[in-house]
Amino acid sequence: MDLLNNLLFGFGVAFSLQNLAYCFIGVLVGTLIGVLPGIGPLATIAMLLPLTFNVEPVGALIMLAGIYYGAQYGGSTTAILVNLPGETAAVVTCIDGYQMARQGRAGPALAIAAFGSFFAGTVGTLLIALAGPPLAEVALKFGAPEYFSLMLMGLVAAAVLAQGDTIKSLSMVVMGLLFGIVGSDVNTGMHRFTFDIFELSDGIGFIVIAVGVFAVGEIVTNLGQPERREIFTAKVSNLMPTREDLKASAWPIVRGTALGSFFGVLPGTGPAIASFSSYMLEKKLAKDPSRFGKGAIEGVAGPEAANNADAQTKFIPMLTLGLPASGVMALMLGALTIQGIQPGPQVMTQRPELFWGLIASMWIGNAMLVILNLPLIGLWVKLLQVPYRLLFPAIMAFSAIGIYSVSNSSFEIYLTAGFGIAGFLWLKLGFSAAPLLLGFVLGPMMEENLRRAMLMSKGDPSVFVTRPISLAFIIATVLILVVMIAPAVRKKKDALAE
Amino acid sequence: MKVALRDNQDFWSGVMLVAIGAAALIIGRNYPFGTSLRMGPGYFPAVLSSVLCVFGLILMAKSFRSTDRVEAGWSLRGLIIIPLSVVLFGVMMTHAGFVPALVVLIFGSALASDEFKLVEVTLLTIGLTLGCVAVFIWGLGLPYPLLAEF
Amino acid sequence: MSRLRSITIQAAGLLIALTTSVAAQDYPNRPVRLIIPFPPGGSNDVVGRMIGTQLSEQLGKQVIVDNRAGAGGVVGTEIVSKAPPDGYTLGVISLAHAVNPWLYKLPYDPIKGFAAIGIMGTGPNVLVVHPSLPVRTTQELIALAKAKPGDLQYASAGIGSFQHLGSELFKLTAKADILHVPFKGGGPAMTDVLGGHTKIMFSSLVQTTPHIKSGKLLALGTGGSKRSTVLPDIPTISEGLPGYTAENWWGIVAPAGTPPAIIKRLHAALSAAQDTEAVTKQFSSEGASVVKMSSEEFGKYMVSEMNKWERVVKEGGIKAE
Repeated sequence: MDLLNNLLFGFGVAFSLQNLAYCFIGVLVGTLIGVLPGIGPLATIAMLLPLTFNVEPVGALIMLAGIYYGAQYGGSTTAILVNLPGETAAVVTCIDGYQMARQGRAGPALAIAAFGSFFAGTVGTLLIALAGPPLAEVALKFGAPEYFSLMLMGLVAAAVLAQGDTIKSLSMVVMGLLFGIVGSDVNTGMHRFTFDIFELSDGIGFIVIAVGVFAVGEIVTNLGQPERREIFTAKVSNLMPTREDLKASAWPIVRGTALGSFFGVLPGTGPAIASFSSYMLEKKLAKDPSRFGKGAIEGVAGPEAANNADAQTKFIPMLTLGLPASGVMALMLGALTIQGIQPGPQVMTQRPELFWGLIASMWIGNAMLVILNLPLIGLWVKLLQVPYRLLFPAIMAFSAIGIYSVSNSSFEIYLTAGFGIAGFLWLKLGFSAAPLLLGFVLGPMMEENLRRAMLMSKGDPSVFVTRPISLAFIIATVLILVVMIAPAVRKKKDALAE
Repeated sequence: MKVALRDNQDFWSGVMLVAIGAAALIIGRNYPFGTSLRMGPGYFPAVLSSVLCVFGLILMAKSFRSTDRVEAGWSLRGLIIIPLSVVLFGVMMTHAGFVPALVVLIFGSALASDEFKLVEVTLLTIGLTLGCVAVFIWGLGLPYPLLAEF
Repeated sequence: MSRLRSITIQAAGLLIALTTSVAAQDYPNRPVRLIIPFPPGGSNDVVGRMIGTQLSEQLGKQVIVDNRAGAGGVVGTEIVSKAPPDGYTLGVISLAHAVNPWLYKLPYDPIKGFAAIGIMGTGPNVLVVHPSLPVRTTQELIALAKAKPGDLQYASAGIGSFQHLGSELFKLTAKADILHVPFKGGGPAMTDVLGGHTKIMFSSLVQTTPHIKSGKLLALGTGGSKRSTVLPDIPTISEGLPGYTAENWWGIVAPAGTPPAIIKRLHAALSAAQDTEAVTKQFSSEGASVVKMSSEEFGKYMVSEMNKWERVVKEGGIKAE
């Protein structure tokens, strides 16, 4: 069988001592920068790129790829332990992962994140090998109308994120959409809500809001309530997930992997959308949705799998079409061209050692990550025993350095302080931050694609229903609305009958 | 049981939403609105801020029957000192360098805790600063001067 | 009195000259910061880092790359203009520097605020169309656009981007009406054109070459005054539309007031860096070519580029802010 031969060939390439070493260095550096907020794979790869010019292409690519997915992996660690999202997509992990840690279940949360990521990484890798090129062709069918309809579906489904008070959750989504508007308008170049501050012209950084609201806001809240700080040290149960935990997480991991693979293939969807979708799906499917936000293991397992699958399949448009779906992928393309390799479908046939070697190395890298991280769980959990008064200045230091490193500017630091205060007030008033971030991620893409679609169709709104893929999403959106409204209506009727 | 407006969660939530929505409406009042089919840059902001105002008004109306109290436990000390030390970190990064900025941030934010102990925090500041220099400057090679030169 | 004053002034002048020449002699004695006003991964970043690495070798002190992105390069360039003029803060500028004055109220003077050091290189744009568009040459595209004014659409990397301006220059020169569809960056724009949703793009050569070679996009012409060495079979756009050239360029500047001796030292280092095999090889793999100018020539080039693009921005009705 061709695939088997190709994979065997790939493993042959990846298992050379040299390439194993590159892979290991990559995932190690990736885990480290993933743990730290702000400092992401983009800046790290940019810094390391010149060093790879003298390395042979396969080794260079294996190492850079390792940094990238290693970072996705490491991002969840601090999210679970101290509510500090190390990477964009880890924001979703904060919601339930951190609550698990507060209940003394940091160990199982970290372990299930590792298992989920490994499973997703394996599937993602296989998917690239099996169906990379045809999937990439499907992705090209997505134009502005399709992206808009997809985002619309996401926004409607966001109501599921509602925690307790629906109006409060929806207002957080709307507020997120408003924050997303800050910056220069893609369609006209007009600066909106920038107060003539040039630093705001490219918008507010996602990580600024996430770290401000989650990490800083949480610290300020904890300082006001001594009893909240003791929880960590109170009791630490088992380090590994129980049989029930595994059973509860199995399907979320599978579904998360599927969602993540889907979004990964689409170059026009940003980070965190895959993990948000998985979270919303799990909450919708759960027998008791009220457990979410209070330490539900499904809320960690699904999004973590989705996030890692997304990271792996983001390679599909890059490897098969030469299309960068993100800044990191653009840098990898750059690394390839500098090595004299023209990216595109011909890479598979002309440089098979590169294509299959990279794929095999990704699976090996994922395995290394699990082996690397499982023994560390005990250490991480011990870290939580550090008294809170010593822990939080450290969290502050890592957050601040991380934020500063995103654009080397103090302005973002000031913004973070502001969002820290806002995060505290929102928490006090009973608002949850997750819907805000979802709105923030979806908003700009929705507006941009809606207006672009209308521009291209010359103001004819029928484009959304005459294009089949877009129509499918619109129908799904209507279905979701019906499913969501029906129980509420029934409840009203019951209430009236009583 | 009814809750007085003064610590009524829904009431203050509503006030906040209306304030933000109204501010956004005012700031964005001159952005070209366009039409529903040809949306201008002002279309989305106007619609969103209006929705936010409406949500705020609903919450304020609800607050008269609401029983949600604003949770107690405000640490004014934390609320002021933590953001302040973050801001100082930003100022020091551009004017004084990595080490002074970190010292101010770590020592400053530790001050926000009511369990502050001078010796312990001093040791923590030294240890953490050294660790951060090792990891970020020497390890990751971030391009920040340890001490700014003037 | 006046004599005393003139002596004092002369003495002061001598003192300044002495200290600056001393400063220039042992320059650089600490790391030099090279500000790139764009995020990692773009052409400015790739070119800037490449030259930065070589400059480190030439100067004997580390050149630290510092990405300060924002507002089409304005944020980072402002930092350069306000830095002390001691040669320890340098900035990468590009075509955007000649365009921004016409788009934004700048917090600095784009010409007088800087001391030109030298140009690093230039990279032409390339006009590509999706194969489903029934044109095979630049003239056919112009004819089609004139037959259906406003019906054709082109993609760009955003308002005021190199792709946008190259297209508007084309529209002005050819007197054709083509609708602008802006995207957030070159990658998303290219994806849309590859999918055949928008069908025309004036893109950077490096980003487009793989798709031209794989046949997913058709190249009608390149924007340089001569044919590109990367795509020698593709005519220039000016062969079909006389008078059209659009090239991106990258250069290095220092804050105004930097001592001439330091500028000279930096220009020599840049020139030597440009001669290294690493740089020429990497430039050509990026579809760009190394260009050399004296510091004065580069200063004049900046002015001429500003004038060229002023016309395009104003007549094309391009607005930001």
